[in-house]
Amino acid sequence: MVETLTVKKLTGKILICLAALAVLMCICALVGTQSISLSKVMQGPGQTDPNIDYQIFVGVRLPRLILAALVGAALACAGVTLQAILRNPLADPYILGISSGAGLGAIIAVIAGLSWTFLGGSPLTVCAFLGALATVWLVWCVGTIAGKHRVTSLLLAGVVVNAFFSAVIMFLTSIAKSSQIRWTVFWLMGNITEKPWHILCVSAICILAGIIGLFAISHRLNLLTFGDAEARGLGVDTKKTTLLAFTFAAFITAVAVSLSGLIGFVGLIIPHTVRLLFGPDHRQLIPLSAIIGSAFLVVADTLARTIFGQEQLPVGVITAIAGGPFFLILLAKYSRKVSWLK
Amino acid sequence: MSNIVNVKNLTFGYNTQPILKDLAFELPRARFMAIAGPNGAGKTTLLNLLCALLRPKAGSIEIDKKNIKSYPARKLAQKIAVVRQEFVPVFDFTVTEVVSMARSPYLGTFGFEGKTDRQFVQEALKLTDTAQFASRPLAELSGGERQRVFIARALAQNTPILLLDEPTTFLDLKHQVDIFDLLKQLQLEKNKTIIAITHDINLTIQYADIALLLQGPPSCDYQYGGTTDVFSTEQIERVFKAKTAEVSIGGKNFYLPLGKFTGDNQHITRNLTEPQQ
Amino acid sequence: MKRPWIISAIALICVAVFLITFYSNHNHEKTLQIPPARPGRIVSLAPNLTEIVFALGLDDKIVAASSDSDYPAQAALKEKVGTFWQPNTEAIIAAKPDLVLTLAFEQQKTVAETLKRLRINVLTLKIEKIDELLAAIRQIGTATGKLEPADKLVADITEQMNNLKLKLAPAQKPKVLWVIQTEPLRVAGRNTFVNELIQLAGGENAISPTIQQYPSLGSEELLVSAPHVIIQSAMGQDNLPDQQLSAEAFWTKWPTLPAVKNKKIYVINPDTVLRLGPRFADGIELIAQHLHPDIFAESLDAGSQLER
Repeated sequence: MVETLTVKKLTGKILICLAALAVLMCICALVGTQSISLSKVMQGPGQTDPNIDYQIFVGVRLPRLILAALVGAALACAGVTLQAILRNPLADPYILGISSGAGLGAIIAVIAGLSWTFLGGSPLTVCAFLGALATVWLVWCVGTIAGKHRVTSLLLAGVVVNAFFSAVIMFLTSIAKSSQIRWTVFWLMGNITEKPWHILCVSAICILAGIIGLFAISHRLNLLTFGDAEARGLGVDTKKTTLLAFTFAAFITAVAVSLSGLIGFVGLIIPHTVRLLFGPDHRQLIPLSAIIGSAFLVVADTLARTIFGQEQLPVGVITAIAGGPFFLILLAKYSRKVSWLK
Repeated sequence: MSNIVNVKNLTFGYNTQPILKDLAFELPRARFMAIAGPNGAGKTTLLNLLCALLRPKAGSIEIDKKNIKSYPARKLAQKIAVVRQEFVPVFDFTVTEVVSMARSPYLGTFGFEGKTDRQFVQEALKLTDTAQFASRPLAELSGGERQRVFIARALAQNTPILLLDEPTTFLDLKHQVDIFDLLKQLQLEKNKTIIAITHDINLTIQYADIALLLQGPPSCDYQYGGTTDVFSTEQIERVFKAKTAEVSIGGKNFYLPLGKFTGDNQHITRNLTEPQQ
Repeated sequence: MKRPWIISAIALICVAVFLITFYSNHNHEKTLQIPPARPGRIVSLAPNLTEIVFALGLDDKIVAASSDSDYPAQAALKEKVGTFWQPNTEAIIAAKPDLVLTLAFEQQKTVAETLKRLRINVLTLKIEKIDELLAAIRQIGTATGKLEPADKLVADITEQMNNLKLKLAPAQKPKVLWVIQTEPLRVAGRNTFVNELIQLAGGENAISPTIQQYPSLGSEELLVSAPHVIIQSAMGQDNLPDQQLSAEAFWTKWPTLPAVKNKKIYVINPDTVLRLGPRFADGIELIAQHLHPDIFAESLDAGSQLER
């Protein structure tokens, strides 16, 4: 009898990966430029004399780890989804304008000195989020108006919008006052920082909701990768499914980008890595990419804050440097295998 | 037996010039219909109209007595399975995964296959002689093997109608015959309606009951009827602009294409004994 | 069919988000600790803040500083807590500060928020202009119980600037081109802080107003601007004499410029001059000396000024 992916098998894989992620996060929580001991942390915040280990663990490391995990999961899932919708293994979450849209939103917020806050997020976060969504909506409209060949139109619209907005960003950067410019450029490089708990909670809810939504349509994503005609022949409403997938992916990416800037590489490499390890079935890809994306970014952030001691690197540098060779090794090792690890 | 496909006054063109004009036919259930015609005659266009990928400019198509427009995609996929030209998908799905995708119109929200679905997949792999490739990625197979996998997928979809666009391109002789045998078997044993586009007139005559011969623009004329009514050397010459020699085997007429170097043979009629079964 | 599920899921999410935000905002009105009148453990996250702290005589109270705090020499010996652009929050906490001094730009604001959540006292100072610098010195003085030295420092700086103003009042303002990059040629425009410095030092920006803060200059505009003095920002602190020589070699391409003809090309270390700290007035004087050597002839000590 043929074997297909069952709920039981998938749950097993998810649980194993989650357990590995939990262990990894525990280890990374104890690694940093200041050495802390778990027993001291457990003693609590301390009354008259603040417990440094506790403050560092709960106030700095945990929020950073959680943010890294959330952003990693969001970017990885968005990457998987866009690669499926666009039928293009080189797609990443930023390809359809989110990156330049978020950047433009952020720059406008900084230059205009806007001070809207929403749900406790800073004006920058809010404007980057709105910028990302507005741009993606623009790209979708332009791409679908163009008609029949939706995928090509979307790609072209994304490229054009990205190019145009990047030029606007460069211009605005050149006329802004110096301290503001350098800040925004730095933000665009991508950074994991300590966010307040309520923001982490809200983001977690949004990102998890998006990932679950993507999981719900994941079997239709499998069909979409065969092309519009084939998918329709198998009963998929391609326009609706593409729009849903696009919306979820754009939403979680916008949340991630508004919190941590543009962290590259995660959305491109993790989908491929998970595909190499587990196969291209999106019912597996979505949840497992989320978990492995989290793990990747948690490790990258830990390296970014410890590798050069006091000098803290932006996490985007680590993802790029570490991601490249890692992927090459994986490709060489597994491309010779005929059957997948199931 | 009612008609399973009912086409009335179908007109369609990609721009101002129509490819199909006022096409009408009624296809009864459990028949094998072949769509033939020269390149550009509108065969694939008709196929795409029949599976609702294209919308007619005028006229209507009824599937199982309901207008095709009233079927949501899922329901239509439970009625019609389509086999197009084979291709290598972007991502490395295995044969089993590809064939299992056919069960999608029947699955629940999260799309996990159950025991029945696996049985259909198993059966489909067996019937198309692709079970030995079950866990191999599609990209590793030859063109012909991939074609059989796509046919297996259509079988696993378990629909009353099968639409096939030149299913035997890339297949070697044995598999060409095997596939047509399989299609005929499905028609006769499982009452499936087969609609196949094929360039091979002789296979059509052997297997199909009904033929639709399209002439394409500008006349958009067509012939619809039993294979003996539709095909003759004059008809073939008129539509395909190719000379053929008629050969009679076991009471049926077959057509050999004649070129410049085939020699001097007009009507070669030979009486042969019944072909070995 | 599926609709009620989806709608109720979305509704639940919105309610959860709202509750979380409301609850946290409610909690935000926590009482911060009352800062000690004389903090014993100060951490400074910017080089100019470090200089101010030292200038107020708090050398022994400052326990850690950003790694780019290089003046005075003792500052470089303090514990490091990351750079001005990327402070290391963990190291700051580990230093057990009772007062952390930060600047008011976004990255440091984020760190300040984190520290405040951990009930660490943070004083955020906005120092982008001269009057803001003077106000900041007093704020730091108040927070550290050194208001008198702070007032004195402010008075000294103000006096130095006033004296300079008087000295320079009769002089003609030379046209100054402030070059921040040579390949391609980019200069400081009229909307920048550098422009203010030039004016305080008794000069005038050689280029006309531009939209960009740091516009690129083509040869045409360069010739039209005809600067009397060219000041070039050094790259890093080493090899200032070498940089001076290569700058002079570079500018020989335009021998007709008054600055080149009169050999008034100066490479200076931007940190000294652009850092808005206690040595600010010294920095302006340095520039003024280059612009008006005749006025400062008595006090000009050629070699050491360039090396500073």
